[in-house]
Amino acid sequence: MSVATHAEGRVSRRIGTDRLETTFTPIEPVSYTTTAMGGRLAIHLEAHGRADEAQRDSRRLVARVDRWAARLTRHTEISDLAKLNADPSSSVAVGPVLAAALMAGMHASDASEGFTDITLLDARLAAEGKSDLVAASRLGEWQIVRRPRGAAVIRRPFGLRFDLGGIGKGWIADRALALLGSWPSAVVDADGDLAVRCSPGECWDIGIEDPRTDGVNLAVLRLTAVPGGAPTRWGVATSGTSIHRWNLGGTVSHHLIDPRTGRPARTDVVQATVVAETALRAEALAKAAVIAGSVEGFALLERARVRGAVLLTTRNEVQALPVTLPLLAG
Amino acid sequence: MTAMQPVRPPAHPPKARPDARPMQMALGAGGIAALSALAAAIVLPPRSAAPVSATQNQQSQATDSQPSPTPIQLVRPIRYVQLSPGETAPPGATVIDASAPTPITVIVNVPAPAAPKAAAQTPTVIKTTQSGKVIP
Repeated sequence: MSVATHAEGRVSRRIGTDRLETTFTPIEPVSYTTTAMGGRLAIHLEAHGRADEAQRDSRRLVARVDRWAARLTRHTEISDLAKLNADPSSSVAVGPVLAAALMAGMHASDASEGFTDITLLDARLAAEGKSDLVAASRLGEWQIVRRPRGAAVIRRPFGLRFDLGGIGKGWIADRALALLGSWPSAVVDADGDLAVRCSPGECWDIGIEDPRTDGVNLAVLRLTAVPGGAPTRWGVATSGTSIHRWNLGGTVSHHLIDPRTGRPARTDVVQATVVAETALRAEALAKAAVIAGSVEGFALLERARVRGAVLLTTRNEVQALPVTLPLLAG
Repeated sequence: MTAMQPVRPPAHPPKARPDARPMQMALGAGGIAALSALAAAIVLPPRSAAPVSATQNQQSQATDSQPSPTPIQLVRPIRYVQLSPGETAPPGATVIDASAPTPITVIVNVPAPAAPKAAAQTPTVIKTTQSGKVIP
């Protein structure tokens, strides 16, 4: 259990015993926010007086993210992903960006014990009333054959189509943060999926949005790096059923498909936030926790050894794994 | 006085009509059989045309908590396997002792964040949200 206090711009954290006390400096970033990937893209850098340079690097990164997103979206017919989905061949060559993102989808599936599945495009479209196809998980029916320079060949049975969704955003957040290597403390916010790097002795405060009330936090996470140590890498992601939801034929539905049924998950979790090593892993596990429900979801998150997890249930309970407590600020 | 006209026999004697009862019984039995087959098709759950392997079937029983109206193939990793004497675990499976206690996950309730103190607490600039959330 930790106790955090604020005093003159610095934060003291007592961990476990009174003897172990560490002081962290909250970061006041230079932020650049725009729209991308159909949502929000924000870059936060600790500038140390280099605000102009921070803005310039942020603009360049946004342009890069736009190019990645243009290749990975399913909402245009000219993206690499859309071309792959439209190709009737069983073996299709893809470029390095799509290959890496699909590989990330495989890792996400493994990390989430199959609850995260990028082969459920038809199930998602059926849930939206845009398809009548039978929706079933096709995990394990496709494979990636690596080629030189990051390219690959995708082998899949006829009709298997992909939807990266939030997995693509988590992958983009991690990849974008990797390009900000010259900034010791940085956050890339890809529509709610955060890739975070914190330099020693500093901390980022991350609010978990309460989906019930605008502008209110369910909790505040304080992500730190021990003074004198190495920069710390974090991933924070939130998934839930309260924003992307709709009424179809009198039935309220949402976008998180349960691979066990091929239909929108019936769950007691409204929203799940997971803290992990990367945004991709956090996104996969947050989505899995919502789909699995609170009981199975918490067990899954514990097996995955996440760094933190906060769930809001349909019973209006805000619950967390004990490992989260040292991260909760104030 | 009218002369009685002799009744002439028909040029061709009428053909003997076949007995309709056997055919009616056959048609009736066929109809009953068709109705039975139709009722069975409606009542029984749909089945996949493709054969389902024993492994797939076991996975479905193990992981599908609710009956699904459509055939769903589940390829989720096997998490736990309990072996009978002489059995070996499939590759990648985690074997647990049948007498081991059921794992329990401990969770805690999170109190609401403290109200901001005007001088001491810096408002959070960065938020994690569900995708599509507009932050003013």
